[in-house]
Amino acid sequence: MIRPAPESRWTPVINAVLLPAVLVIAWQIWAVTLPADTRAPAPVGVVAAFFHLAGSGGLFSATLQSLGRVLLGFAFAVVFGVGLGLLMGSSRSVKDNLDPIIESFRPIAPMAVLPIAILLLGTGTPAALSIVAYAAFFPLLINTVHGVSRVDRKLVQAAMTMGVPRPRILATVILPAALPSIMLGARVAMGVAWTAIIAAELAVGAKSGGGTSGGIGQMMFVFYAYSIDLNGIVVCMIVIGVVALLIDRFFRATERWLMPWRY
Amino acid sequence: MSSAAERQHAGPPQPSSLQTPVLQRELDATHTWQGPGGAKPSQITRWMSKRGVIAIRSFVIFIALWWLLALWVNRPVQLPSPLRVAIALGGLIAAGEVSENALISVSRLGISLVIAAVLAIPLGFLMGLRREAEAIIDPVVELLRPISGIAWIPLALFIFGVGDILPLFILVYVAFFQILLNTIAGVRNVDQRLIAAARTMGVGRWAVLRYVIIPAALPTVMVGIRLAFAAAWAAIIAAELIGAPSGLGFAIEWYRELLMSPKVFAFLVVIGIVGYFADLALRALQRWLTPWAQGTELA
Repeated sequence: MIRPAPESRWTPVINAVLLPAVLVIAWQIWAVTLPADTRAPAPVGVVAAFFHLAGSGGLFSATLQSLGRVLLGFAFAVVFGVGLGLLMGSSRSVKDNLDPIIESFRPIAPMAVLPIAILLLGTGTPAALSIVAYAAFFPLLINTVHGVSRVDRKLVQAAMTMGVPRPRILATVILPAALPSIMLGARVAMGVAWTAIIAAELAVGAKSGGGTSGGIGQMMFVFYAYSIDLNGIVVCMIVIGVVALLIDRFFRATERWLMPWRY
Repeated sequence: MSSAAERQHAGPPQPSSLQTPVLQRELDATHTWQGPGGAKPSQITRWMSKRGVIAIRSFVIFIALWWLLALWVNRPVQLPSPLRVAIALGGLIAAGEVSENALISVSRLGISLVIAAVLAIPLGFLMGLRREAEAIIDPVVELLRPISGIAWIPLALFIFGVGDILPLFILVYVAFFQILLNTIAGVRNVDQRLIAAARTMGVGRWAVLRYVIIPAALPTVMVGIRLAFAAAWAAIIAAELIGAPSGLGFAIEWYRELLMSPKVFAFLVVIGIVGYFADLALRALQRWLTPWAQGTELA
């Protein structure tokens, strides 16, 4: 294909910045035209709120608290999801018997389980953890089952022919072969878990009269319900987006590091 | 150009007998080698291994375990027994609460999927067909996409208040990106040789769009719609739980606050069943709209 005009090397940069910049400037102009006592967020206010929140350390510690919960819940989900996935992927009778139960829980959103988690565990960290683990469990399980069931059986037979014991086949043949699928599941699961913790913290804040659950979701709810600081809410939203992006990039980098043969 | 076409024609790896589940096969083998002379499994064994029977058996065991656990814990507010949940479910169905709330949630879901599709599909076609449009719009999409729909709830609560608009806004937002990205991918992956062939034979631009690009891209768009449904179904419960005066998410939280846990569990069952059937309906729609695309199932 012939390009009509040679592109300057700045064209991609200009293209990337153009529309976001126009939107932000339009937002700022719109905010300036509002009466002075408005609560509407504006870019300048958001930047100011960010420096205020980051300076006090509150934003950082709330983000860290949410991340800590996600990691702990995710760890539970890895143990159960990958463990059960290996079992279901390698044994047909286990898979046939558990599939109906798994499939009937799958359409139940994590947030629908939250009321029950609150009933059973109260409004503290354990309820939030269980929601995260529940949300992350399904992508991990399904991708592990898929990965294990697609392992080249010639490899397994070769190992068995050479007298390798079963646990070692699992660790040295099946697990590496299923790893790409498991890692994909882990990346999806972590994204879902991050969304779930925000939802859980928001809902716990919203429904238990602003309990002491902490975390960035709770922080947003406090900005909404008590201090009515919309700039602060937007700062939280941006932080949530940035963390989601970093989680995704981290998992992609780990995939590349763990499985160099695929890249 | 040629490498792109080749990649397309390589296609997904065909499932061959070599890739069938490993240990599964060995297990089958051990099953058939039951005794000398290879005795055939009896009538009862065969009946027991039917799919439906296995599913029912699994459910019976699951419910029995639940019941035993409920008896052992013996705190009906925290863990009601299956019987009490079933009675509560029956009562809710008879009172019309289930159909009322399910109808509200499903229609919110349907409306927002339609709105998201109307917005995202044309934009996706534009971005898929025109590099310049994609170069300019894509940065905004990539900036907004990591911010989950749920993170918009507090701001949306402030803008729209508790009501019908808030869940619709959140759902459209969530569904939009799934449909948009899949539409772009679908348009991008149309076999360039088909377009070139049509153009060579003097087919006009609009006819190429109508008869080549749209039919080729539609299966991927449908996958996007099903992904959008899955994401929206997870988000609607959150949106209704926090910011709506009706719907399944609202009902489940309402009964939790009243500590009527059998009804909480009953609504949980309803959410599972409605979600399952909604996905089934979308699969049927997919088959009906794109019958030429069998096999492009979700992994």
